[in-house]
Amino acid sequence: MESFSKSRAAHEMAGSYGGGSVPLFSARGLRLEIGGKKIVSDLDFSLESGELLAIVGPSGCGKTTLLRALCGLIPAEGEVRLEGLSPAEIGWPRFRRSVTLVSQIPVLVGETVLRSLERAFRYRGAVNRLPLDRAIELLGRLGLTEGCLAQPAQALSVGEKQRVCLVRALLLRPRVLLLDEPTSALDEESRNAVEALVRFEAGQNGLLAVVATHDREQAQRLCTRTIELGDRGAPASGSAARG
Amino acid sequence: MGTGLTEGAIHLSAADLMVSALLVVAAGIVSVLFNLGVERQLAIAACRTVIQLLLIGYVLRVVFEMRSVLALAPVVLMMVGAASLAAVGRLSRSFPGATLQAFFTLTLCGILTTLLVTGAIVHVKPWYEPRYLVPLLGMVLGNALTGVSLCLDSLLERLDRGRAEVETDLALGATRWEAARDHVREGVRRGLIPIVNAMMVVGLVSLPGMMTGQVLAGEDPFEAVKYQIVVMFMIAGGTAMACSLGALLAYRRLFTPEHRLNSDLIRPARTGA
Repeated sequence: MESFSKSRAAHEMAGSYGGGSVPLFSARGLRLEIGGKKIVSDLDFSLESGELLAIVGPSGCGKTTLLRALCGLIPAEGEVRLEGLSPAEIGWPRFRRSVTLVSQIPVLVGETVLRSLERAFRYRGAVNRLPLDRAIELLGRLGLTEGCLAQPAQALSVGEKQRVCLVRALLLRPRVLLLDEPTSALDEESRNAVEALVRFEAGQNGLLAVVATHDREQAQRLCTRTIELGDRGAPASGSAARG
Repeated sequence: MGTGLTEGAIHLSAADLMVSALLVVAAGIVSVLFNLGVERQLAIAACRTVIQLLLIGYVLRVVFEMRSVLALAPVVLMMVGAASLAAVGRLSRSFPGATLQAFFTLTLCGILTTLLVTGAIVHVKPWYEPRYLVPLLGMVLGNALTGVSLCLDSLLERLDRGRAEVETDLALGATRWEAARDHVREGVRRGLIPIVNAMMVVGLVSLPGMMTGQVLAGEDPFEAVKYQIVVMFMIAGGTAMACSLGALLAYRRLFTPEHRLNSDLIRPARTGA
């Protein structure tokens, strides 16, 4: 895991937030509008290491859009900070290796599952090589065998791809994981495995996860805080509530 | 039907041109007989061919006689402008500023390549001698516009359809170039296919237009071949430069400094080709 907190800018930002400590991941005055439809207005939150935040709301309310904005894949007004630093200060690619999005629609780029896992470790900013042992361990925890590494990526089911995508993101050891409907294509057993893994990573490794889900039960089961997105025309505002 | 020989070339009379028009009439008859419905387009295309070529013939005669940069400049501008519009007009998808980028690309690559050939290889004096510069530039532009068109079409299609893949790379920490480079490379490769294919079969399947023209004008075939080799290399170089620059400019336009794909800019072209 990369740490940015020792930089001078981070300490300056701590002052501007009015507190002594810098939150791991924060948003301030976030405004998001897509095609004339407001998704969020003046959204603030501050999250610490190990916290699990749920973004809940009905389909089409903008959960996916909000996650994409949090990692900068689409522009938004307001600011998002990691350890007090803006993505521009950190560098966008480096920021996204620390605030990593796992999309609802799983995409594996590469001929085999192994190649698609390795791809993320070939980027210029990658600090290490694919930790194969950890990949096998994580796959196993999600009910996938080592044998799937040699399989053609496109031969996997959507549910299998979804789990492989989660493993790929975790292998990068991000500080913040943005999970978009992470169990939408999974049966109950696999869903439980994913939830258990996210809880484990949060508890043991301090992973901060933001989970977009339409399933309120999952939000209650998994997360400690919640942002409620409204129906169309009723955008969320204010702060994340503690569950 | 030839009316005379001058330095090996047989000059054509108006009557010769009329006879050649019978071939287009024959094509029209075929269209009517087989109910192809293209006779009207054939007639329009034939008329445009005659009018456009006669016009450019007169313009070139004046420009060739004047031998001045000022007289040459509007002709070059018109050629590059028409090539840019044609290059972008063939795209099935486009983005704001595509025509301007194509104009810049074709101007830079077309003129640089042509000047390299006229200056360093053919040693034309003066360097802007229109009799050499105009036809050579025309050949570079004609091929480069096809290359740029194929290249951009491929790049835009891949970025549009493969948006999820590109954004997956970006979400995992790839730089914009790392996310785009496979698509840029494939675009440039696609743009180069026609000229590479042409170089593979040149002389075996067909004699290129310029060489044919020189032979018909009474030039020694071996001398015509040497010119044709230079022309093929010039076209290959110009097309490669234009495809690379066109793809890189499009990449810079579609990816923001925040390493984000601005896919909203990619829209179906108005022509809907």
